[in-house]
Amino acid sequence: MPAPLKLRGLTKTFAGQDSPVLAGIELTVAPGEILAVIGGSGCGKSTLLRLIAGLERATAGDVLIGAEPVLAPHPAIGLVFQEPRLLPWLSVAGNVGFGLAGGPRDEREARVAAALTRVGLAARAEAWPHQLSGGQAQRAALARALVARPGILLLDEPFSALDALTRADLQDHLLELWAFERPTLVLVTHDIEEAPVLADRVAILRPRPGRIGELLAVELPRPRDRDHPSFEAAKRRLRAALAESPPPFARKLAS
Amino acid sequence: MTARLPWRDLLLGLALPLLAALAWETAVRSGHASGRLVPPPSRVWSALAALARSGQLWPHVAATASRVGLGFAAGSAAGLLTGAAASYSPLFRKLVDPAVQGLRAIPSLAWVPLFLLWLGIFETSKIALIALGVFFPVYLGVMGAVLGIDRKIVEVGRIHRLSGIELARRILLPAILPSLLVALRTGLGLGWMFVVAAEYMGASEGIGYLLVDGQQLGKPDQIIAAILVFALLGKAADTLLVALFAPFLRWRDVYRGGR
Repeated sequence: MPAPLKLRGLTKTFAGQDSPVLAGIELTVAPGEILAVIGGSGCGKSTLLRLIAGLERATAGDVLIGAEPVLAPHPAIGLVFQEPRLLPWLSVAGNVGFGLAGGPRDEREARVAAALTRVGLAARAEAWPHQLSGGQAQRAALARALVARPGILLLDEPFSALDALTRADLQDHLLELWAFERPTLVLVTHDIEEAPVLADRVAILRPRPGRIGELLAVELPRPRDRDHPSFEAAKRRLRAALAESPPPFARKLAS
Repeated sequence: MTARLPWRDLLLGLALPLLAALAWETAVRSGHASGRLVPPPSRVWSALAALARSGQLWPHVAATASRVGLGFAAGSAAGLLTGAAASYSPLFRKLVDPAVQGLRAIPSLAWVPLFLLWLGIFETSKIALIALGVFFPVYLGVMGAVLGIDRKIVEVGRIHRLSGIELARRILLPAILPSLLVALRTGLGLGWMFVVAAEYMGASEGIGYLLVDGQQLGKPDQIIAAILVFALLGKAADTLLVALFAPFLRWRDVYRGGR
């Protein structure tokens, strides 16, 4: 039975800094839910994700899977970085299978092959990472995270470096992959369209210190039509909610 | 990958030395140069052939090659381990690096009298001197390479929960491999340099001994023959080292010259 992801009073102050990056984040993400965290740059989005992934230790508060605290990278949690971060000395297949250390070899190879097929890279299995396009590389990174079948998959602005067409393509692709085993997805983004395309709920992160300003449910049927009036309405609602926490430079201009 | 013609590259590489040799040979034969102090290639060749035929050459080659081999093995192993430790542990680095850098500033030949005093005039002192010469570039190269590894790639290892040893084997080592090869090649080159110094300070065999012997007996053809043997041995050792690493560096997307 998959367990919910809970953040309890999560606070992070980096060494040598006075003010916290994140202060008292409270959030519960249900199993299989897709949550988008949206906010401007520098509001602590990436830090939030790194805390959940166990790459950073919280100053106070807990990250819990059910009742189990996450203090270090956890087998049930996968992470896709903003850049593909493929290891250049391994083939695409070698990268996808990087985390599958144990178990019989042919079983590992079968899982890697299945993951590559799912992301549409079966033909590039033996290619080197530098031979892939940006979109292909990010799909390989997605396959690397999914091959271990994590219950929770974290994505840190995974498509922000891609062009608009590739981005839309990969967003649809991510939803197809999600539909297979329905992991919990926590996706950090600054893209006002990405959140309503993907998410069940959107958490708006307010800066200085980073805290959750608002939680919006996206009540649109799936698959979502980016051109439908209800989708446009959801985007407008999101934009309005974001505007209530203007970025610091806008505040300065207004005062 | 396009299949290259190895013969074409080989011929291109040999063109310049062969042309120079031919020019010198012609100059001596035509009487434009005496060739007494700089003997023409034919005399160098016959000196080399005489050494080889008499069976004298091979013990010299074997002695020098084994000194370089042992010194390189010891020096590069020590450089690799110390460099890795200095990059992995900041405390070790702060303790050891200033001292190593200080020692590095000493011209290595200044150690010769001490090494002779401590280790005697036989093989140990020679191998120690070569190992010392190899150690510094390998130490510096490894430490610089490990400290230059992209933190983002190390995080990939962390997110996959690699242990320290797994991280070293699966991320750090492959990441530094290109720089490690450069460091080892530099070290090997210094090894050949130091073997001459070591053999100069008293040896009864070795290519360096042939140099000293040639000087004392006034045989420039033997000196140049010995120099040629050094060139061939050094180049062969370097080529071997590069070939050993080549299968592990196929992934590199590097500039190969041209546009």
